[in-house]
Amino acid sequence: MGNIIEFSFMYDSFWELLQYVPITLFLAVTTMIFACVLGLLNALIQIKEIPVLKFFAHSYVLLGRAVPTMVMLYIVYFGLPVFLMAFTDKTGIDTGYQHISPIFFAIVGLTIHTGAYLSEVFRSAILSVDKGQMEAAESIGMTWWQGFYRIVARQAGVFAVPLLANQFLDLIKGTSLVFTITVVELLGGAKIACADDYRYLERYLVVALIYWGISIIFEKLFLLAERKVGIFQKGI
Amino acid sequence: MITFKNIHKAFGANEVLKGISCTIPTGSVTVILGPSGSGKTTLLRSLNFLEKADRGEITLDDIHIDVENVSKAEIHQIRQHTAMVFQMYNLFKNKTALENVMEGLTVVKKLPKAEAKEKALYFLAKVGLELKADSYPHQLSGGQQQRIGIARALALNPDVILFDEPTSALDPELVGEVLEVMKKIAQEFNCTMVVVTHEISFAREVADHIIFMDGGVIVEEGAPEKLLFNPENERTKQFLSRYVSFTEYNI
Repeated sequence: MGNIIEFSFMYDSFWELLQYVPITLFLAVTTMIFACVLGLLNALIQIKEIPVLKFFAHSYVLLGRAVPTMVMLYIVYFGLPVFLMAFTDKTGIDTGYQHISPIFFAIVGLTIHTGAYLSEVFRSAILSVDKGQMEAAESIGMTWWQGFYRIVARQAGVFAVPLLANQFLDLIKGTSLVFTITVVELLGGAKIACADDYRYLERYLVVALIYWGISIIFEKLFLLAERKVGIFQKGI
Repeated sequence: MITFKNIHKAFGANEVLKGISCTIPTGSVTVILGPSGSGKTTLLRSLNFLEKADRGEITLDDIHIDVENVSKAEIHQIRQHTAMVFQMYNLFKNKTALENVMEGLTVVKKLPKAEAKEKALYFLAKVGLELKADSYPHQLSGGQQQRIGIARALALNPDVILFDEPTSALDPELVGEVLEVMKKIAQEFNCTMVVVTHEISFAREVADHIIFMDGGVIVEEGAPEKLLFNPENERTKQFLSRYVSFTEYNI
């Protein structure tokens, strides 16, 4: 090992580590989908000011954003099984908590964390649309939901997409924390491999490069999405 | 026929409507005049419940609504029979001019797409903008946007069209084209028009009936010739005196 950085080794470990990319992407994409649903519902509850629920929605945004991602993962990983165990004890319904894969807890933890941020993204996006748009929709006899789906949401999308891109890029990198709850993804795979040969620097550089590549691909994809949802603004 | 009975509305401590009662006959053009803050727009918006009044009764033909206990279904029902033209146009920004007019036809009236398109083009032609069918609102001038707003309202074949200061946001050169279109539809279509405006000359030429409001009450109402040229109330006289030149102004 004459050189500090051996490029042929980096090249080999790049191909080795690629096998963990699907799991990282799976974590990020699945979490994003669930978090979008959760965030959008949460934002709508606040905007529609649904009694009782709006209190929970508001608390969730406050608390969800106040807890570090890793702490959230620990709470879910150690807390949820206990909760399910108690549930099984009380009701006799078997939840199968002993066999739940850690990846499930990882997705739940990341979703709770990301959903709180997305809730604010969606809320601000919806509020960015001029109030007159919904009034116009209602004035021609559309229901609130028709007006929301056909008019307001489409315009809010233009505002939301860049923020969603931000959040998603953050989330991709956030998945590197789930190794702490035993899910072997990109960083986890690298760590395990390092335990054999102690070549931390080179392998972590490769990991960084892979994250970089993934991020660039998604940045481009989100840019395309942004153009697509904003097609009606062409020329502004 | 539209009937307001004892309509009250307050925003916090600010009482905007203090018991408004009036009747607007079917097929008439009624203009509501008055200084800013007199409650004209609030009264107009209370009819289709964009602003929910605190109490009172509203009747539109066979729909009778007690405002205090209004249900979602009743609001939806009255909105099916009315349409509105807004001060800031409020065209759907994500839709082309044609789609703006079609939207209510396909989504609310459930017309098949082809039929809705044909109808929408007909009404765009009525307001003289069939060539702009594929333009998005931001590509159109204020006057053009407002004319499309009128086409959108008209296409629904509503019993009533509510005009909320339709020319106030336009620059003076564009006011004429919008008033022209409004005049035309007043003559061609048999729907009731309620117009909140500051265009006195429009009121004089087109209105069947004028309501003058101030401070949340109806101060005076009557036919245009009488109300504009021989107002009885001091407040009406004072308000109209600011429009000295309106008799010479023609659109």
